[in-house]
Amino acid sequence: MDTDVQTIIRGAAFLGAAMSMGLGAVGAAIGEGYTAAQANDAVSRKPEASGDILKNMLVGQAVAESAAIFALVIAILLLFLDVPVHNVLEGAALLAAGLCMGAGAVGSGIGSGFPGGQACQGISRQPSVMSRLTTNMLIGSAVCQTPAIFSMVVALMLIFMDFGSLPVGPTWAALIGAGLSTGLAAIGSGYGGGLAAGASCEGISRQPETVGNVTTVMLVGQAVAQTPSIFGLLVSFVLIFKAFPASSMLHAAIALLSAGLCMGFGGIGPGIGNGKAAEGAVRWVARNVAFSGDLMRIMLVGQAVSQSTAIYAMVVALVLIFVV
Amino acid sequence: MGDLGKIHQLIIPFFGHDITLNLEVILMTWIVFAILFALGFLTVRKKGLYPKAMQMFGEFYVGQFYGLTEDALDRKMAKTYGPLICALFMFLVLSNWLGILPHLEEPTKDLNTPLSLGIMGFFIAHYAGIRSKGFKAYVSEYFQPMFFMMPLNVIGELAKIVSISFRLFGNIMGGSIIILVVSHLTYSFVLPPILNAFFGLFVGTIQAFVFTMLTVVYISVQVK
Repeated sequence: MDTDVQTIIRGAAFLGAAMSMGLGAVGAAIGEGYTAAQANDAVSRKPEASGDILKNMLVGQAVAESAAIFALVIAILLLFLDVPVHNVLEGAALLAAGLCMGAGAVGSGIGSGFPGGQACQGISRQPSVMSRLTTNMLIGSAVCQTPAIFSMVVALMLIFMDFGSLPVGPTWAALIGAGLSTGLAAIGSGYGGGLAAGASCEGISRQPETVGNVTTVMLVGQAVAQTPSIFGLLVSFVLIFKAFPASSMLHAAIALLSAGLCMGFGGIGPGIGNGKAAEGAVRWVARNVAFSGDLMRIMLVGQAVSQSTAIYAMVVALVLIFVV
Repeated sequence: MGDLGKIHQLIIPFFGHDITLNLEVILMTWIVFAILFALGFLTVRKKGLYPKAMQMFGEFYVGQFYGLTEDALDRKMAKTYGPLICALFMFLVLSNWLGILPHLEEPTKDLNTPLSLGIMGFFIAHYAGIRSKGFKAYVSEYFQPMFFMMPLNVIGELAKIVSISFRLFGNIMGGSIIILVVSHLTYSFVLPPILNAFFGLFVGTIQAFVFTMLTVVYISVQVK
């Protein structure tokens, strides 16, 4: 029996590591490629600024890479860490940690490529505002990483918390659901936040004096675009910390797994949609700064409407956890 | 690593209910208060037409945040809500920075702090909305676009509290968990100070600003 449990746990850890790094490699690579493509475009327009553009491209790519580095850290932990062997639950937790980090890195990786690329374009347009563009790019892409950081937190909690005393019954499904909820919901939020950050770098290069307003609207828009991933985090916390009564019936377990899936998939669309709303607002604040208050208010109202689908997903997920 | 997510608590029985106090959080909040009082005292101690460094700093800070509030609301409302916004940002940014000092922890790492500030912002925004629009217009907004959308509109408003407080809590607690795990794995070699600078100073400042700005725009959405 003991060797069986150990085999299952080791196997789950390997599977989790593969999921974490495999999925985690997707987003950062796409984002970095986008940055490099925009940098090439910018250099061909203004070859004399090629040194600055190259430097900026490398900095932007380094930030975009951090999502993949988070995934690498989790994968290495899963491969080499000695976990205490209590019961099969540890295996479910390790697999869920890998899934969570892998999926969660996709959106942030792609998203933080946008500000890098637009900042390179901006330098070719206005070489004199390079330092402002780089600062704004760093702020924007660091905020883009927030969904990936949420995924990493949930993954670390799943790896290091002790689930030994809990009943295997429905808890295995709760843990996998917790991983899927934050991981999947982070995809949309990371991508959407990147759209807003990219538009802000473009806007600053067109109207450098609007930098204060543009950065403020970008931060608010990104923050609202992250709301779906925060709902995912909330559902994950409920699934991890609520003690579910032991039950051998399959439907109780499937309900918890479905809660995570529902919140996870339900968060992707609103994240991207909110990002698009923020992108539009940021772009037009830069062109028409006198109306930035109105633009921000309309952005928020639009985001609230597009957010409502994430709220439906959260309501269904909470019903699945607490009622069914 | 076992103490991930453990809190020191003082539980007081009170007429059949248990009152739970998170001692560390209260202590850290008091430390932030003390720093704020000291800063305030130093700023106004020597006032003059030719400002000294601290007065310059204070005037610059208050001016910046009044300006931000004026952009989102208007000049008259900014007089009412400006002080709140200045105070909120100062408290949050100092709370988020506190964790970079050894043996101290961010009060915002505990969900209770962001949640209570979020609930405060929610009530202030709705009070401002009722005051400027009148109760009837305020209530009728919940029945837009159709009357049966009312429950979802209410849930949508309540979800704002969840999102604003969990955003701050998740970022700060996430940063501290990542620092804890990385310090443990690398035996506190080289990496932790860099991570502290990133999560404590950089992310902490950005998240304090985001929380403050969201409180302002929640008020402005209710008012207009």
